[in-house]
Amino acid sequence: MYTLEVLNPVAQQRGVLTTRPINPRPTSLDRKTVGLLWSGTHGGDVALKRVGELLQDMFSDVTVNFYTGGNYPAPPPIVRQAAEECDVVVGATAD
Amino acid sequence: MIEIEKMGKPAVPIVSGRFEQDAVASSRTFAMPDLKFVTVPRIYRNLALDECVRQTELAIDSLVHALVSGGHEADNGVDGHDPERRYSYDAEDRYAAVLRMNDDFLSRDWGDSLPLYPATRQAVDALLQGTCLPSDHLVCDMPPGFGLATVEKIAINAAMAGALPEHMPVIIAAVKALSELGPHGGKSLLMSTSPHAPVLVVNGPIAQEIGLNPRSGLGPGRDNQVNITIGRAFSLCLRNIGQWYPGHMDMDTIGTTRKFVHCLAENEAMSPWEPFHVDRGFNREESAISIFVTDGELDVQDQGNTGAEGLLKTIACGCTFGTRSLGERHDAERLIFMPPDVARPVGAQGFSKRGAQEFIHFNANASLGKMIQYMPLEGEARVAANWKWLLNHSEQERLNMTVPVLESAERYYVLVIGADRAKTLVMPSGPSPATVGIDAYRP
Repeated sequence: MYTLEVLNPVAQQRGVLTTRPINPRPTSLDRKTVGLLWSGTHGGDVALKRVGELLQDMFSDVTVNFYTGGNYPAPPPIVRQAAEECDVVVGATAD
Repeated sequence: MIEIEKMGKPAVPIVSGRFEQDAVASSRTFAMPDLKFVTVPRIYRNLALDECVRQTELAIDSLVHALVSGGHEADNGVDGHDPERRYSYDAEDRYAAVLRMNDDFLSRDWGDSLPLYPATRQAVDALLQGTCLPSDHLVCDMPPGFGLATVEKIAINAAMAGALPEHMPVIIAAVKALSELGPHGGKSLLMSTSPHAPVLVVNGPIAQEIGLNPRSGLGPGRDNQVNITIGRAFSLCLRNIGQWYPGHMDMDTIGTTRKFVHCLAENEAMSPWEPFHVDRGFNREESAISIFVTDGELDVQDQGNTGAEGLLKTIACGCTFGTRSLGERHDAERLIFMPPDVARPVGAQGFSKRGAQEFIHFNANASLGKMIQYMPLEGEARVAANWKWLLNHSEQERLNMTVPVLESAERYYVLVIGADRAKTLVMPSGPSPATVGIDAYRP
């Protein structure tokens, strides 16, 4: 019988060492501002705008803001603006 | 989306198709493993608009659950991975144990599907003798998954590729070079659905010392054993340290054999010009490695030119292969592996390397309509303001417009590589290469 022992080739990821939790969610989207962040690819804008319409149907007084920097990843100023102006943000990865 | 969560607001991406594993891997990589996301079946970009709407409507309840409290909690599977763990395989003899190890490692996707050498403690210790760095030295956080690239982890993966101690300085420098490539080490390109793949080129005395082939060095065969081994070691580092696993953080639509990364050496002895690393600020006596990211390759065959201008015009024609964006900046480049049978007559007839770059740039022009691939411009956010005027032109008018392939001459990178015959290899490439010295990693 032969026993072969080898070392683990997989490295620890930096992100695993600095993990952060997600933010608490609101109990409802009533009277909230929803941000829609589009990466600029075909179809994603249509999908996100439909999300905005549906959320306005499902909750009361929902404000919808649409953002795009025209490309992926979204430029930092656009991301910051969406975070500052909205209560929650929805994005689409379309490519 | 993770950036928005880090700014204090709930954020949920809609993830298309096969990108679910990518979303899990990315959320872990960017330190938010519990990021909530919803999935829809198909990638939006190639769907008709009514299908975009339909699949989104079907996902709306999941989206609401992810946005408001009371929704299901995400479990994106942060495992208890122990980088120090050892793996044991019992069998009737060593050969059978190695086969068992291979079955296990390949099922975990820790290899390239070719047989792996066993990275025993003894084998790794031997490789560690090939560098002056201690085993726990952190070389970099390796993209795209930003794994901690210690010398030990690099040596383990190099051992699996069959590397020798004298290869270690080159492999370490290659890993370091990737981390210095473009924004975040070229992370977005590595994770793209297009087949962007690195290629490595070594300059300086170490290339000859360790036996890198500067001639027909980009293919299989006995003469390319060192080229292949170093490229393979780098590839394994990319997967097991950089988390560049297919279907997780490597999202190619079809893929490319160029992801079996190759390492070459510039044919400095046959070049009429200074070596590439000298262009990058190193001395000729120093050794360095450069990393490029390529999108494809084209064999540019010269059928009889002996004059410099004819040879260079042929290459310029080959450089029209590739695409261009309509973003604010056009960052594309071309990597040109110019064989001695082109470079030497071009140099002998008075062209400096810079002069050759400028001549190629002057002659490399192409139809704008073709370079943007008949892209429908209406409703496309990726058309920058400085290109909006194109909306007023018909498809035929766009096809009739001729533009320079690249923005400037310095975006054509010329390296002299190859054997006899005027067959140049042109590769669309970018972002700009990174060059790292090797000598600091020698024993």
